Amino acid sequence: MQGTGVFQGDSDDLTALKAGDSDAWRVVLVRYGPSLLAYATRLLGDRASGEEITQDSLVNIYRTIDRFDGRCSLKSWLYRAVHNRAIDEIRRRKRYVDVGDQGLEDYFNAAGRWRHDCPGWDGLAAKQLDDKRLLGKVREQMDCLPHAHREVLFLKEVEGLDSAEICAALEISPGNLRIRIHRARAALRAAVVEA
Amino acid sequence: MVYIKCRDVVAKISDIIDHEASLMTRMRFYGHIMMCKNCRRYFDQFKEVHALAGKVTADDLPPDFEQVMGAVMDEIEGHKDA
Ligand SMILES: [Zn+2]
Repeated sequence: MQGTGVFQGDSDDLTALKAGDSDAWRVVLVRYGPSLLAYATRLLGDRASGEEITQDSLVNIYRTIDRFDGRCSLKSWLYRAVHNRAIDEIRRRKRYVDVGDQGLEDYFNAAGRWRHDCPGWDGLAAKQLDDKRLLGKVREQMDCLPHAHREVLFLKEVEGLDSAEICAALEISPGNLRIRIHRARAALRAAVVEA
Repeated sequence: MVYIKCRDVVAKISDIIDHEASLMTRMRFYGHIMMCKNCRRYFDQFKEVHALAGKVTADDLPPDFEQVMGAVMDEIEGHKDA
């Protein structure tokens, strides 16, 4: 595994992980566990489910670590496992909310110009909130967005994963990620500003 | 300067704030923004909400986080002994 450049500097010791070294696993849990748990919780909407899904996913990753081929980072691999498990659960509960293509298009007429004036920021209710409340509103609205938006916003804006890591975790192309990030941000702006 | 529609300006905002737009796109974008009140307002709001989204932190760890990860460790250590 040396010299592949796949792992970051503070590299995850894949050899030890594959050998079942519990110290190496402990390091992985401490390093990534909190973010994975937060991600699952944000997607599922409640902490108990988030904990259960994270636990299940991590145990499953431990059991199937031999299948990890190092083509993406371990971090992306972990997110992918938790993500897929969480989405399965959300779909099982028939609660998954996808997004259509519309949204932004409603603002414009056939000529591509604004149909109505965009309201000025200073006149908006959101602007009247103090900083802390406004941040609270952003957070609250983020948790109300369709899952497809929440996923990319959490990974990109909250956890700060880079594009390659997000693409690997969500198994989408860079072009698709660009589009999804933009739509998700636009949806968040609309939820915060127009609500 | 080639004319750019409001719809296309709005579509480029994420590329602009993520520094992924070409020089030509940036010039057209900012040229339009200067002239168009609606796109300027939208852009300001978009940037503001985006900046706030970056300040949202992951949930605080539950008090039993150790327990959550402990259960995983038990599985790992139990598996090894088996
Ligand atoms: Zn415009």
